Amino acid sequence: MGKFIRWLGRTFGSKKKRCPEEQRCLELVRLMLDEESTPEDNAYVLNHIDKCYQCYDNYDIEKAIREAVKKKNRKAKIPHEVVNEIRNKINLA
Amino acid sequence: MAYRQRLAAFFDNFEAMSKSTLASGAEDKKAALFEREFLPHLEALYNFALKLTLNADDAKDLLQETCLKAYRFIDSYKDGTNAKAWLFRIMKNGFINDYRKKSKQPGMVDYADVEYMQEGTQEAVYNLRPDMIRGKLGDEITNALDSLGVDFRTVIILCDLEGFKYEEMAEILEIPIGTVRSRLHRARTMLKEKLADYAAKMGYK
Repeated sequence: MGKFIRWLGRTFGSKKKRCPEEQRCLELVRLMLDEESTPEDNAYVLNHIDKCYQCYDNYDIEKAIREAVKKKNRKAKIPHEVVNEIRNKINLA
Repeated sequence: MAYRQRLAAFFDNFEAMSKSTLASGAEDKKAALFEREFLPHLEALYNFALKLTLNADDAKDLLQETCLKAYRFIDSYKDGTNAKAWLFRIMKNGFINDYRKKSKQPGMVDYADVEYMQEGTQEAVYNLRPDMIRGKLGDEITNALDSLGVDFRTVIILCDLEGFKYEEMAEILEIPIGTVRSRLHRARTMLKEKLADYAAKMGYK
């Protein structure tokens, strides 16, 4: 049902009319994805995004950005000489 | 007389020797603590330095400076507490001090700190779709993150790349947890706006 409502919204909905709870929901979505939200916050978000296509889109975009940030900013290997230099300096300090 | 002088010399020598033995014992202890608690976080620190300075040479300098400072003040570190957060705080402070000095030089204005909102950005944000981010945006994601002001860039790095909790971030950044929350929210909005602008320029509607 949720999927159908979101499809209807995306297909026929107006971009100008925004969900009145969008900002609050977005804040809670971010807390939820950071695992910093309360169970009540989570229940509100999950219930709301099931019915609201705009807030579901926001949730999906937030998730996609987090994944992309992690994927595109892979960790660099630290050069051996940098480690050795630090070890030497510490031993001499 | 000669006997008394020799005895005094012997005691002086003994005192100096025991002092140096004690000192080298303390140094060994510090070095062992450094090796055990701090070295495992060196790679994470190096990556943080790269994202702060956006330059490999500056990152090496910042890392070295952070390690030497951590070693010098190792007595103020409580063994068994959050070593990674402690080291990240030292690095952040070192970078900010250096950055402030550089910022005071003429011609070093950080335009990224200026509020970012181009005309049409809000429309672009509404048009942004998850598949654009997942599929088409590549280096733009790194560029968008790197172009954020240092305070905003830092909270996203600490949270998304290093996986720190808000409480740990508050400790590292020495700000209240509520400020961590609001700064992160603002940083994420700015990042999204930049990505939406990139997507709009690439012709996604």
